[in-house]
Amino acid sequence: MDKQTIETMVGVLDARMNRQLKEYLDICVRCAICKDACHQYVATQDMKYLPARRAELLREIYRKYFTKTGQFLPDLYEAREPDENMLDELYESTYACTGCRRCTFYCPFSIDTAWITSISKAILIAAGRGNEMLGQLADAEIFKGDNAEMFHDSTIDGFKDIETQVREMTGNPNAEIPVDRQGADILYVALAGAHSILPAAVIFNEAGASWTLSFFESANYGFFFGDPAKAKLIADRFMNEAKRLGVKEVVITECGHAYRVAEMFYEAWAKEKMPFRVRHILEVIDEYIKEGRITVDAAAIAERVTYHDPCQIGRNGGIFEQPRDIVRSIAPDFVDMTPNRDKQWCCGGGGGIVAMEEFNDVRLKSGGKKVEQIRATGASVLACPCENCRLQINELNEVHDLGLRIVPVMELVVEAMPLLGTRSVTQ
Amino acid sequence: MDWFSYLTSGIGVYLGLGVFTAGMAWRVWQWVRTPKSPVRLGMFPKPRTAAGRFGKLLKDTFVAPQSFETAAMLMAFALAFHLAALAAFVGHLRLIHEFTPLVAVLGIEGMNTFAAWSGGAAGIVMLLAVLYWIGRRTFGAYRKLSTPEDYLLLALLLGIVVMGDHLRFLGGLHAATYQAWFASLMAFRPSFPPELASSATRFALDWHMLFVDAFLVYFPFSKLTHAVGAFATNLVRSSE
Repeated sequence: MDKQTIETMVGVLDARMNRQLKEYLDICVRCAICKDACHQYVATQDMKYLPARRAELLREIYRKYFTKTGQFLPDLYEAREPDENMLDELYESTYACTGCRRCTFYCPFSIDTAWITSISKAILIAAGRGNEMLGQLADAEIFKGDNAEMFHDSTIDGFKDIETQVREMTGNPNAEIPVDRQGADILYVALAGAHSILPAAVIFNEAGASWTLSFFESANYGFFFGDPAKAKLIADRFMNEAKRLGVKEVVITECGHAYRVAEMFYEAWAKEKMPFRVRHILEVIDEYIKEGRITVDAAAIAERVTYHDPCQIGRNGGIFEQPRDIVRSIAPDFVDMTPNRDKQWCCGGGGGIVAMEEFNDVRLKSGGKKVEQIRATGASVLACPCENCRLQINELNEVHDLGLRIVPVMELVVEAMPLLGTRSVTQ
Repeated sequence: MDWFSYLTSGIGVYLGLGVFTAGMAWRVWQWVRTPKSPVRLGMFPKPRTAAGRFGKLLKDTFVAPQSFETAAMLMAFALAFHLAALAAFVGHLRLIHEFTPLVAVLGIEGMNTFAAWSGGAAGIVMLLAVLYWIGRRTFGAYRKLSTPEDYLLLALLLGIVVMGDHLRFLGGLHAATYQAWFASLMAFRPSFPPELASSATRFALDWHMLFVDAFLVYFPFSKLTHAVGAFATNLVRSSE
């Protein structure tokens, strides 16, 4: 590997260094308690998926260039100059990581391996080894932000079609999907596709909410790619829209990483405090049900329902009870998986891995724990508020013949709403 | 003192303590001077109050209930080792000053018997834990994760514990003899009292101290800095 590439990689590590990262890199005792916490290591027993090993690769570079002891006694500390072989392993272990932070949960020192792998991604990008697919998807999102007028008419046409469906479902000819509404209370940021707009639009209309739909989708491939600058540009699109419209809150759709990006990361990237709060759509819907702003039939979902805590919403986002309260309010036969909440197994579909075909094998294998968990509940419906989790569990559903109906929580809510229209949400 | 004793049980002790103290201060300074992570790294659920977060920090650091759930055997050995090491450390304080209130209750003979039992138990627990770790690291499925540093530290610990146990079980000397040596160290005139200088036990003490000195020197430059760092990282877990 040429000297200049190494210098660039070391420069990136230097620029991203912070107190927590330094502590994580210094204090790991390699006890490997994390091995039993990682769905990928448990499924494959492959060292490159052992969380401490994923981090150890970055540590080897850190020791070589950032510690005197590593420079003085490289063999003792396993301080290594990066080479192509190392980057191969780093690439596979890093981009395969779903960032679920279950290893952090079980680590006696709470070492955040997902945070370490996010730095590893930055180093890989510096070496020209970033994942191409995620990079292209991120660039496409940024392009849409820079050329919004190019997409304007077709996007609005799409919204109008969904608005017609909302009117058919609610029986309310005045139901609408407002876009660009100045002074609305809520800016709702959906995903590409009607499935994340339609149920929310029905609920907002029935609740009489003051809302407006973002022109942009919340998914953030810059975050998965590992480039905070790109991730910020992608999130800027709806954050700037929210500022311009003067909303009181940004509400993120049923998407795990988008919620975490908006709630946990964005203000740090933007270096400013936003003049609005960020909430997950399920926090809002839970409030609407509890305040009686929407009506739901308590026995609407007769089948047994279970709930999957997406890592970025649960363990990493703090939303555990609201989705359960919602599901319990419409499905009398609700059964939780074991373990659940902060100990929930990652389904294996996070971190952008569903978009990278090269990891299909490990991805599907690593869903084994989730399959066991789902089977043990005996449920036939899985409520799941994350797009990537749904994609993964849908595939597991097919491969393992689970006979499961996998739905966003808000879609179940709409199924349980006594609407006056003739059309159903699943039509 | 002959040259080897002077090196290990004399100036080596000063060197060990000096490097340990300065090294740990330097290490902590290295952490403190680096700017904090700009993004929020906390995990959920977490206590809402600062007092609650502090309580969770203590629980996560001293008990690590989550780690126990997933690796009960390893954590049992780890907790036993750390408690035994703490007990051994407290026991060694007797070399600086006799635990007068305890002696008043037990009598000096009783105190020596108590020290023999408690110190002996701590020494055995530490030995078993170190042997378990060596076995786990050498034969575990993930042994490739281990680095030479891991084995060096275990070798140093093994040396300290084996020689310490030798002193405890075979040494035949009681605290009063070592107190005289410790007093000489604190007066910066290291020397052995005649009873120790003429004893075969001196050899075991010198080797015990050689491992201790090396351990102290190496401590700030090793993963053992988790002794301080774990408080910081476990606090981040419950942070905003």
